[in-house]
Amino acid sequence: MAADNLPTEFDVVILGTGLSESVIAAACARVGQRVLHVDRRSYYAANWASFTFNGLLSWIDDNKQGGQSPEEVLDWSGKVESGEDILPLSTMDTSISNLEVFCYTSEEPEEDEEEKKEDATPISTLSPAPQSEGEEGNQATSPTDNRRNHEGETTLDILSESPPEQQDQEECAPLAEDQQILSSDGEPQGEEQLSGSAPTQAKKKKISYTKIVKEGRRFNIDLVSKLMYSRGLLVDLLIKSNVSRYAEFKNVSRILTYRQGKVEQVPCSRADVFGSKELTVVEKRMLMKFLTFCLDYEQHPEEYQDFTERSFWEFLQNNMLTENLQHFVLHSIAMVPRETHTEEGLRSTQHFLRSLGRYGNTPFLFPIYGLGEIPQCFCRMCAVFGGIYCLRHSVQCLVLDKESGRCKAVIDTCGQRISCSHFVVEDGYIREEQRKGVEHKHISRAVLITDGLLLQSESEQQISLVTVPPLEPGAPAVRLVELCSSTMTCMPGTYLVHLTCPSSGSAREDLQPVVSRLFTKPASAGEEGDGSDERPAVLWAVYFNMRDSTAADRSGYDLPGNVHVCSGPDAALGSDHSIRLAQEVFRQLAPHEEFCPPAPNPEDIVYDGDGGQGEGAGFSEAAQAEEGAAEEAEESKEKEASQESSPVEVGEMPDPPPAPLAEE
Amino acid sequence: MIMAGGSVSECKEYLFKVLVIGELGVGKTSIIKRYVHQLFSQHYRATIGVDFALKVINWDSRTLVRLQLWDIAGQERFGNMTRVYYKEAVGAFVVFDVTRGSTFDAVSKWKHDLDSKVKLANGNPIPSVLLANKCDQKKDANSSNPTLMDNFCKETGFLGWFETSAKDNINVEEAARFLVENILANDKGLPYEESNGDRVKLDQDTAVAETKSGCC
Repeated sequence: MAADNLPTEFDVVILGTGLSESVIAAACARVGQRVLHVDRRSYYAANWASFTFNGLLSWIDDNKQGGQSPEEVLDWSGKVESGEDILPLSTMDTSISNLEVFCYTSEEPEEDEEEKKEDATPISTLSPAPQSEGEEGNQATSPTDNRRNHEGETTLDILSESPPEQQDQEECAPLAEDQQILSSDGEPQGEEQLSGSAPTQAKKKKISYTKIVKEGRRFNIDLVSKLMYSRGLLVDLLIKSNVSRYAEFKNVSRILTYRQGKVEQVPCSRADVFGSKELTVVEKRMLMKFLTFCLDYEQHPEEYQDFTERSFWEFLQNNMLTENLQHFVLHSIAMVPRETHTEEGLRSTQHFLRSLGRYGNTPFLFPIYGLGEIPQCFCRMCAVFGGIYCLRHSVQCLVLDKESGRCKAVIDTCGQRISCSHFVVEDGYIREEQRKGVEHKHISRAVLITDGLLLQSESEQQISLVTVPPLEPGAPAVRLVELCSSTMTCMPGTYLVHLTCPSSGSAREDLQPVVSRLFTKPASAGEEGDGSDERPAVLWAVYFNMRDSTAADRSGYDLPGNVHVCSGPDAALGSDHSIRLAQEVFRQLAPHEEFCPPAPNPEDIVYDGDGGQGEGAGFSEAAQAEEGAAEEAEESKEKEASQESSPVEVGEMPDPPPAPLAEE
Repeated sequence: MIMAGGSVSECKEYLFKVLVIGELGVGKTSIIKRYVHQLFSQHYRATIGVDFALKVINWDSRTLVRLQLWDIAGQERFGNMTRVYYKEAVGAFVVFDVTRGSTFDAVSKWKHDLDSKVKLANGNPIPSVLLANKCDQKKDANSSNPTLMDNFCKETGFLGWFETSAKDNINVEEAARFLVENILANDKGLPYEESNGDRVKLDQDTAVAETKSGCC
């Protein structure tokens, strides 16, 4: 299982297993290129990865230490011939910053949960579960307190800063109170302030930190939070390539929004609109008329031509939509900032509407086991088509041909020279020297484990997209995705809430105001609430910033022409950018080849029986276009295709005759 | 998807995903081809373009078992299989080559890797069977002592082991039967997990069949 005997010649070497790189790997292997796909990490999917709870704790530890420790600089002179240059790659991953972890739940063992409700939350025990260190707690928390929390703490200087949002929040009377609830867990003076004001969570079963750790494998916590537009590029590609066979999905069941201090459902489908209790009859008609127009707005330029230079917001106001409807359309359907141009707003609205109803009542799908499955699905496809995979393995440097300036080989972490015609690399591996012209932004992320739905409903199994408009002018809109346990991303009884926005400050500065408004903390020690607060409690939270290099232009990198850089995830809800990028790179690598043609169905692959060739991997693709990923159809098909119908024998022949098409 | 044992008119149907893992060249593909396609070839070639092979077993008059045998794509050979490979598997064969002691040495590593990557719904490791393949050929020391092998299985958590030969068709059928028996026993002891009925599969059929837009 060691990577010490890799072949030394490939068509493409790919470093990094994020979405774009993985799609490129699958596409190249699919058309017969020899692909070596490596990642220095011990897991797949790079910054798209999903982790079990314990896996996430290790990831947090790794990133706290400032990325991987730099490897010793080796002498490559023995590997290089005259006329060749060396271009070293970065050994540090600096894409994650401002990591902060908070634990709000108690660390008591899970047995007798019911009885132990009145037990005090331990304040000063030595344990892996950190006490919360919210904003008020900052001042009260001594460095010693911080040190005892082996995964909860952040750098001390961050903690000692007074958070900028604090002042703003104190202006809003009801919210200042929430803030204290969240922030003063475990601090004695906080308890006093709080008694009487915290909600009773008696109806909910308490979930301790120990329980979360114990059930850690039931979590699949994504570093990136995205949904899949039913008619987005990613869904289309999954279907077209048959990579979809490796994954299953759930419909996002609700679109919610935060408005006037409460969470409410956004009516977006026809059924929603007419079933809505919040909308008046007039509003229902108004909204339907407007959405119908948006669906093919290009056909009616007269409706918006006066607004092409003006904002979508103004356009909505001019359309006599009520304030209710303006909010829904702008924030939850178009999901654009107010200042967005009218046409772009219309395009976003149309994209949303077109994806509606393809698979469910909202436009979105979410992959079971998390988004981190998707890059792995493409990696599996690549491996099935001969791609070689090595994790914990990297490329130290590129070997450049002085004359042509092209990359002709790479030297891996074992010091082995591997020749290749193209090199594809994740942005994070490029050294500062080669990326001087590259500007990047950041994404602010938070992941919360909570104990209840943001908006109660008949079913506890809901997947919701929640849009939170800017809480104050200039602040970013924040997107929440609330996942239930049937997505296989969290343990039963908990919910996983992902928050995302483009960064203006640190993740906690950007996102905590929203967290304090929407969530509370678990009731602790002897607190008696009046039960009026129905907000879910946050049990555990992590905040971090992730670099967003998607705005980078190819020309910003000082690299050979056959070195292709893939940016990591962006802050958008969909994954179109990454798929488009993969397609562009593939076109440069293999200009005349089809991008991800459908892989044959395993049941359609028929081996020849003449012994001499049977071991070979002959397979028929002739029926692929028709067969597709017809997994649904497999029940009736496979008996015939694999056994009973007279199989067409396909061995090593270059042009296999078509395999029998099974009737359904 | 995998444990979808629905009972339609007395007859139970099961779909089981079974993994076949082990070092490069131990005969994983040969065993699958022998079992599923009744084929064998001496010529070794890495497995290209094949996800899994399907074997339909009429277990008894009231039980139909469809066994998906997942080969590691030859090229995930460094043990870095994706989660896609492991997820929802309910059984595994770990294969080594009796003529090469080094492939036996790697068995515990593979078993450990397996147990860390996939578990049954109740948290237990998935049932796995050790295959000592190429038993038609001259053995390397270790695997020749049945008592040692029994002990090894106990220590490492295998249900049992079989000497197999894909070439001479020895014990392949028997080993599969043994594993399926155990999977079925497990299945009976476990409550079904919550209904997976509303999971969505994306495929070209639905893509074509669906109407243009269900919205307004």
